[in-house]
Amino acid sequence: MKLFRQLLFAFGSAWQNFWRNLAVSVAAVVSIALILILAGTSLLLGHALGQVLDSYRHRVSVLTISVADKTPLASVYDFEGQLQARPEVVSVHFVTKDEELKSFASDPRNQQLIEQIEGNPLPAKIEVKVARLDDVKRIDALARQWRGVDRTDPTDYKGDFITNMLRLSTWLTIAGLGMLAVLTVASVVIVMNTIRTAVYHRRQEIELMKLVGATEWFVRGPFVVEGVMTGVIAASLALGLLLAAYRPFVERFRAELFFLPLYYDPRFVHVLAQDLLVAGAALGALGSYVGVRRFVRL
Amino acid sequence: MLIAPEFNSRPVISFQHVWKTYPNGTDALRDICLTVPEGDFLFLVGASGAGKSSLVRLLIREEKPTRGRLFVHGQELRSLRRRRLPQFRRQIGLVFQDFKLLPRMTVHENVAFALQALGESRRVIAHQAGAALETVGLAGMERSYPNELSGGEQQRVAIARALVHRPRLFIADEPTGNLDPATAWEIMQIFLRINAAGVTVVMATHNREIVDVMRRRVVAIERGQIIRDDRYGTYHEALPAAAVRIR
Repeated sequence: MKLFRQLLFAFGSAWQNFWRNLAVSVAAVVSIALILILAGTSLLLGHALGQVLDSYRHRVSVLTISVADKTPLASVYDFEGQLQARPEVVSVHFVTKDEELKSFASDPRNQQLIEQIEGNPLPAKIEVKVARLDDVKRIDALARQWRGVDRTDPTDYKGDFITNMLRLSTWLTIAGLGMLAVLTVASVVIVMNTIRTAVYHRRQEIELMKLVGATEWFVRGPFVVEGVMTGVIAASLALGLLLAAYRPFVERFRAELFFLPLYYDPRFVHVLAQDLLVAGAALGALGSYVGVRRFVRL
Repeated sequence: MLIAPEFNSRPVISFQHVWKTYPNGTDALRDICLTVPEGDFLFLVGASGAGKSSLVRLLIREEKPTRGRLFVHGQELRSLRRRRLPQFRRQIGLVFQDFKLLPRMTVHENVAFALQALGESRRVIAHQAGAALETVGLAGMERSYPNELSGGEQQRVAIARALVHRPRLFIADEPTGNLDPATAWEIMQIFLRINAAGVTVVMATHNREIVDVMRRRVVAIERGQIIRDDRYGTYHEALPAAAVRIR
């Protein structure tokens, strides 16, 4: 019962102090919101880049092997079996010459061309999907050694593109982690100092609490609750602004750079909301906990 | 060497050869031996910098003695663990020269605050805060803010706050220092009533008139040492007429 009353006091006191020190509270909300906007922007950009990279990764992780016209079907099945047995291969799909022609003809852009060609000049294909991009090179080498491969145009392997993409992906991951680390350190320092200023204004109150026999946690509790409250309000503010900007940004981007596979992702909005609210609450709590420590120690 | 007075009741405070030396080498207190029995009313007198405030800080365990042993309510303060400090301080009522009221809180909130810190129920808080305010003569002023009160009234609120959790020991550091003589006497009447209820009172003061008129126990400190401990003393040694010297 006593614990419940003390919790109630912590919440009541936090709420009261938030409004009584409105100027300092607003300063704390604004500084946390700015940090969260930065963090949220980097999360959104990271997600957009991820979407683009995923789309390309999906495309290049499928290697198409052209089959020479005179290759016996038994040899194709045999090679298909060899490929399927490899651990790095996710799936293997054989496309016959007829299926390939049908697919080619179904594309409206090829209508004129299809009327001019006689017979079926398109080769049969084996589409191999690999788990990791760096495995594509190995499968390509294997395909080129196979007797049944079409020697004029063996595979659609895009070596340089994949290498560059892997490099870009690695650098983006490093940059993202670096930015996250810098933002985390900066935000904790800023929040801690803002909250320390708020705590400094109330050092007399803290001093008195200690002198009348309040425990460290009783003194610290309202500040930590207030920190969480400040963090959640700041996160809501940051989230509102980011969400207001997200869809127009994506639409503008698509209008300018239509060839990039970027789209508005409503599922990511939930993830972003969750991340920002948790980060805001955690930042507020941590900042308050550290900021108040020096004054609270008995 | 001073001999502590003989009292029949058990000691609330016991200094046993206590020294307080600050990191710069200054001895704020030197070989203090002092026993304060339950129900005593003691004036702590001495010039500024004599060591009164250091002694008070040791009593509320804001600082630890450098040497010697200090017992308050039977608890040795040098070995008192940090987590037991709140419990220890709940047995002491503290009053300061500058009142230390929270300006954004009403009179009632300032007093109730001490009980909220202990996790008391609303009913208990309302009852005890009301009783404490009545004791200091401030019933009916619960909703006022400190800046709406006179110095004397503010000190009464501070006394009510110190009283509200019913401490057995009352420590006041220059409680009349910021008050005019008439108000200071009113405040002293409250302290006398508190003491009459069996609460031990230790008061550091510069107010010669009050000490001389009240004729209570006087402990004089000079350069960190107790130079006088009179059972019914005066502010200065030069007025010994009715004083009963112990040494």
